[in-house]
Amino acid sequence: MSHKFTAVTLNEADGIRVKLQGELDLAAAGEFRTMMEPLAVDPSTRLTLDLSELSYIDSTGIGILISILKVRHAEQAPFYVENVPPHVQKLFDVTGISKFLIPQR
Amino acid sequence: MAEVKTKQQVKLSLPAQADYVDVVRLTLYGIASRIGFSYEEIEDMKVAVSEACNNAVLYAYSQEGGVVDVIFDIGDHELELTIRDQGSSFMANDKFGHATGWHDKSLDDVQAGGLGFYLMQALMDDVSISSQDGRGTEVKMMKRVLAIGEAK
Repeated sequence: MSHKFTAVTLNEADGIRVKLQGELDLAAAGEFRTMMEPLAVDPSTRLTLDLSELSYIDSTGIGILISILKVRHAEQAPFYVENVPPHVQKLFDVTGISKFLIPQR
Repeated sequence: MAEVKTKQQVKLSLPAQADYVDVVRLTLYGIASRIGFSYEEIEDMKVAVSEACNNAVLYAYSQEGGVVDVIFDIGDHELELTIRDQGSSFMANDKFGHATGWHDKSLDDVQAGGLGFYLMQALMDDVSISSQDGRGTEVKMMKRVLAIGEAK
Protein backbone atom coordinates (compact mmCIF):
# COMPACT_ATOMS: atom_id res chain seq x y z
CA MET A 1 0.00 0.00 0.00
CA SER A 2 1.55 3.24 -1.13
CA HIS A 3 0.81 6.35 0.90
CA LYS A 4 3.30 8.75 -0.61
CA PHE A 5 1.60 11.48 -2.60
CA THR A 6 2.47 12.04 -6.24
CA ALA A 7 0.95 14.28 -8.88
CA VAL A 8 1.67 13.48 -12.53
CA THR A 9 1.01 16.13 -15.18
CA LEU A 10 -0.11 14.87 -18.58
CA ASN A 11 -0.30 17.14 -21.62
CA GLU A 12 -3.25 15.87 -23.58
CA ALA A 13 -4.89 17.04 -26.80
CA ASP A 14 -7.71 18.79 -24.94
CA GLY A 15 -5.67 20.29 -22.10
CA ILE A 16 -3.69 19.44 -19.02
CA ARG A 17 -4.62 16.51 -16.83
CA VAL A 18 -3.09 16.11 -13.39
CA LYS A 19 -3.35 12.65 -11.90
CA LEU A 20 -3.21 12.53 -8.11
CA GLN A 21 -2.05 9.41 -6.30
CA GLY A 22 -1.72 8.58 -2.62
CA GLU A 23 -2.43 10.79 0.38
CA LEU A 24 -2.85 14.53 -0.10
CA ASP A 25 -2.24 15.61 3.47
CA LEU A 26 -0.41 18.40 5.27
CA ALA A 27 2.98 16.85 4.45
CA ALA A 28 2.20 16.80 0.72
CA ALA A 29 0.32 20.09 0.54
CA GLY A 30 3.18 22.56 0.08
CA GLU A 31 4.70 20.86 -2.92
CA PHE A 32 1.33 20.24 -4.55
CA ARG A 33 0.28 23.87 -4.09
CA THR A 34 3.53 25.10 -5.65
CA MET A 35 3.13 22.69 -8.55
CA MET A 36 -0.48 23.69 -9.24
CA GLU A 37 -0.05 27.48 -9.06
CA PRO A 38 1.33 28.04 -12.59
CA LEU A 39 -1.19 25.58 -14.05
CA ALA A 40 -4.10 27.24 -12.29
CA VAL A 41 -3.29 30.76 -13.44
CA ASP A 42 -3.01 29.78 -17.12
CA PRO A 43 -6.48 30.36 -18.60
CA SER A 44 -5.47 29.24 -22.10
CA THR A 45 -5.74 25.55 -21.32
CA ARG A 46 -8.38 23.34 -19.84
CA LEU A 47 -7.33 21.87 -16.48
CA THR A 48 -8.52 18.50 -15.19
CA LEU A 49 -7.70 16.76 -11.91
CA ASP A 50 -8.04 12.98 -11.98
CA LEU A 51 -8.63 11.73 -8.43
CA SER A 52 -9.08 8.04 -9.23
CA GLU A 53 -6.01 7.04 -7.21
CA LEU A 54 -6.28 9.62 -4.46
CA SER A 55 -6.49 7.54 -1.28
CA TYR A 56 -6.78 10.35 1.29
CA ILE A 57 -7.55 14.05 1.48
CA ASP A 58 -8.25 16.38 4.40
CA SER A 59 -8.97 20.07 4.90
CA THR A 60 -5.45 20.94 3.75
CA GLY A 61 -6.01 19.38 0.32
CA ILE A 62 -9.59 20.63 0.07
CA GLY A 63 -8.25 24.12 0.84
CA ILE A 64 -5.91 23.85 -2.15
CA LEU A 65 -8.77 22.72 -4.38
CA ILE A 66 -10.83 25.73 -3.31
CA SER A 67 -7.86 28.04 -4.11
CA ILE A 68 -7.62 26.52 -7.58
CA LEU A 69 -11.39 26.87 -8.05
CA LYS A 70 -11.22 30.54 -7.11
CA VAL A 71 -8.37 31.25 -9.52
CA ARG A 72 -10.02 29.36 -12.39
CA HIS A 73 -13.34 31.08 -11.69
CA ALA A 74 -11.70 34.51 -11.73
CA GLU A 75 -9.95 33.67 -15.01
CA GLN A 76 -13.15 32.12 -16.41
CA ALA A 77 -11.00 29.13 -17.25
CA PRO A 78 -12.30 25.54 -17.50
CA PHE A 79 -11.54 23.30 -14.51
CA TYR A 80 -12.75 19.76 -13.96
CA VAL A 81 -12.41 17.17 -11.24
CA GLU A 82 -12.88 13.57 -12.34
CA ASN A 83 -13.10 10.05 -10.94
CA VAL A 84 -13.68 11.02 -7.32
CA PRO A 85 -13.44 7.94 -5.05
CA PRO A 86 -16.46 7.43 -2.73
CA HIS A 87 -14.71 8.32 0.54
CA VAL A 88 -13.28 11.48 -1.02
CA GLN A 89 -16.70 12.36 -2.46
CA LYS A 90 -18.15 12.04 1.03
CA LEU A 91 -15.72 14.68 2.32
CA PHE A 92 -16.55 16.92 -0.66
CA ASP A 93 -20.24 16.57 0.24
CA VAL A 94 -19.69 17.12 3.98
CA THR A 95 -17.64 20.28 3.42
CA GLY A 96 -19.89 21.58 0.67
CA ILE A 97 -17.15 21.93 -1.96
CA SER A 98 -19.12 19.52 -4.19
CA LYS A 99 -21.41 22.20 -5.52
CA PHE A 100 -18.41 24.13 -6.92
CA LEU A 101 -16.91 21.12 -8.68
CA ILE A 102 -17.93 20.12 -12.18
CA PRO A 103 -17.78 16.32 -11.99
CA GLN A 104 -17.40 14.94 -15.51
CA ARG A 105 -16.96 16.23 -18.98
CA MET B 1 -18.92 13.81 26.86
CA ALA B 2 -20.51 10.39 27.23
CA GLU B 3 -18.66 8.12 29.59
CA VAL B 4 -16.52 5.62 27.78
CA LYS B 5 -15.64 2.40 29.55
CA THR B 6 -11.96 2.20 28.87
CA LYS B 7 -10.44 -1.22 28.53
CA GLN B 8 -7.05 -0.43 27.12
CA GLN B 9 -4.96 2.52 26.12
CA VAL B 10 -2.39 3.20 23.43
CA LYS B 11 -0.28 6.35 23.54
CA LEU B 12 1.75 7.88 20.77
CA SER B 13 4.16 10.73 21.30
CA LEU B 14 5.26 12.26 18.02
CA PRO B 15 7.31 15.19 16.77
CA ALA B 16 4.92 18.01 15.85
CA GLN B 17 5.80 17.67 12.17
CA ALA B 18 3.60 17.06 9.14
CA ASP B 19 5.59 13.97 8.18
CA TYR B 20 4.43 12.13 11.29
CA VAL B 21 0.68 12.60 10.94
CA ASP B 22 0.37 9.53 8.71
CA VAL B 23 1.80 7.44 11.56
CA VAL B 24 -1.27 8.44 13.57
CA ARG B 25 -3.53 7.33 10.70
CA LEU B 26 -1.77 3.98 10.40
CA THR B 27 -2.07 3.36 14.14
CA LEU B 28 -5.70 4.43 14.10
CA TYR B 29 -6.41 2.00 11.29
CA GLY B 30 -4.94 -0.90 13.24
CA ILE B 31 -6.80 -0.08 16.44
CA ALA B 32 -10.15 0.83 14.86
CA SER B 33 -10.36 -2.28 12.70
CA ARG B 34 -9.72 -4.41 15.79
CA ILE B 35 -12.70 -2.73 17.54
CA GLY B 36 -14.90 -3.53 14.56
CA PHE B 37 -15.39 -0.18 12.85
CA SER B 38 -16.39 -0.24 9.19
CA TYR B 39 -14.08 0.96 6.45
CA GLU B 40 -16.12 4.14 6.09
CA GLU B 41 -16.05 4.86 9.82
CA ILE B 42 -12.29 4.38 9.88
CA GLU B 43 -11.87 6.76 6.95
CA ASP B 44 -13.95 9.35 8.85
CA MET B 45 -11.83 8.98 11.98
CA LYS B 46 -8.60 9.17 9.98
CA VAL B 47 -9.58 12.60 8.71
CA ALA B 48 -10.82 13.82 12.11
CA VAL B 49 -7.68 12.80 13.99
CA SER B 50 -5.45 14.20 11.25
CA GLU B 51 -7.22 17.54 11.42
CA ALA B 52 -6.48 17.78 15.14
CA CYS B 53 -2.85 16.79 14.55
CA ASN B 54 -2.54 19.25 11.66
CA ASN B 55 -3.63 22.06 13.97
CA ALA B 56 -0.98 21.08 16.51
CA VAL B 57 1.69 20.88 13.79
CA LEU B 58 0.73 24.20 12.25
CA TYR B 59 -0.15 26.38 15.20
CA ALA B 60 1.04 25.01 18.53
CA TYR B 61 4.77 25.62 18.43
CA SER B 62 6.78 28.57 17.26
CA GLN B 63 9.98 26.55 17.07
CA GLU B 64 11.05 23.01 16.33
CA GLY B 65 11.10 20.31 18.97
CA GLY B 66 7.41 20.36 19.84
CA VAL B 67 5.55 17.15 20.59
CA VAL B 68 2.02 15.95 19.87
CA ASP B 69 0.57 13.25 22.10
CA VAL B 70 -2.19 11.07 20.72
CA ILE B 71 -4.01 8.79 23.16
CA PHE B 72 -6.32 6.01 22.00
CA ASP B 73 -8.82 4.88 24.65
CA ILE B 74 -10.12 1.60 23.35
CA GLY B 75 -13.64 0.62 24.40
CA ASP B 76 -15.65 -2.44 23.45
CA HIS B 77 -17.56 -0.65 20.74
CA GLU B 78 -16.16 2.84 20.75
CA LEU B 79 -12.90 4.69 20.43
CA GLU B 80 -11.96 7.89 22.20
CA LEU B 81 -9.05 9.93 20.91
CA THR B 82 -7.15 12.65 22.74
CA ILE B 83 -4.80 14.89 20.79
CA ARG B 84 -2.69 17.11 23.00
CA ASP B 85 0.07 19.63 22.54
CA GLN B 86 2.00 21.79 24.98
CA GLY B 87 2.29 24.73 22.65
CA SER B 88 1.02 28.25 22.90
CA SER B 89 -2.71 28.39 22.49
CA PHE B 90 -4.00 29.49 19.13
CA MET B 91 -7.47 30.50 20.22
CA ALA B 92 -8.92 27.16 19.25
CA ASN B 93 -12.06 27.77 21.28
CA ASP B 94 -12.92 30.71 19.14
CA LYS B 95 -12.46 28.90 15.83
CA PHE B 96 -14.24 25.82 17.11
CA GLY B 97 -17.46 27.68 17.76
CA HIS B 98 -17.60 29.22 14.31
CA ALA B 99 -16.69 26.23 12.17
CA THR B 100 -19.12 25.80 9.28
CA GLY B 101 -19.28 24.07 5.94
CA TRP B 102 -19.63 25.79 2.60
CA HIS B 103 -23.11 24.66 1.67
CA ASP B 104 -24.73 28.09 1.87
CA LYS B 105 -21.77 30.10 0.64
CA SER B 106 -20.73 31.45 -2.73
CA LEU B 107 -17.25 30.71 -4.03
CA ASP B 108 -16.17 34.27 -3.22
CA ASP B 109 -17.22 33.87 0.42
CA VAL B 110 -15.52 30.54 1.02
CA GLN B 111 -12.54 30.57 3.38
CA ALA B 112 -10.42 27.50 4.00
CA GLY B 113 -9.82 28.42 7.67
CA GLY B 114 -11.90 26.56 10.22
CA LEU B 115 -12.66 23.69 7.85
CA GLY B 116 -10.63 21.25 9.94
CA PHE B 117 -12.75 21.87 13.02
CA TYR B 118 -15.89 21.57 10.97
CA LEU B 119 -14.79 18.19 9.65
CA MET B 120 -13.92 16.89 13.13
CA GLN B 121 -17.41 17.72 14.33
CA ALA B 122 -19.09 16.34 11.22
CA LEU B 123 -17.20 13.05 11.20
CA MET B 124 -17.13 12.12 14.91
CA ASP B 125 -19.97 11.49 17.35
CA ASP B 126 -18.56 13.86 19.95
CA VAL B 127 -15.76 16.45 19.92
CA SER B 128 -14.57 18.81 22.63
CA ILE B 129 -11.63 21.12 22.79
CA SER B 130 -9.89 23.00 25.54
CA SER B 131 -7.18 25.51 24.95
CA GLN B 132 -5.35 27.33 27.71
CA ASP B 133 -3.10 30.24 27.06
CA GLY B 134 0.50 29.05 27.05
CA ARG B 135 -0.41 25.55 28.23
CA GLY B 136 -1.44 23.92 25.03
CA THR B 137 -4.55 22.54 23.41
CA GLU B 138 -6.36 19.30 24.03
CA VAL B 139 -8.90 17.88 21.59
CA LYS B 140 -11.03 14.91 22.61
CA MET B 141 -13.14 13.06 20.09
CA MET B 142 -15.17 9.91 20.24
CA LYS B 143 -16.88 7.57 17.82
CA ARG B 144 -19.07 4.52 18.39
CA VAL B 145 -19.35 1.54 16.10
CA LEU B 146 -22.58 2.31 14.25
CA ALA B 147 -23.56 -1.29 13.61
CA ILE B 148 -23.74 -1.85 17.40
CA GLY B 149 -24.48 1.57 18.83
CA GLU B 150 -27.70 2.21 16.90
CA ALA B 151 -30.52 -0.12 16.03
CA LYS B 152 -31.50 0.26 12.42
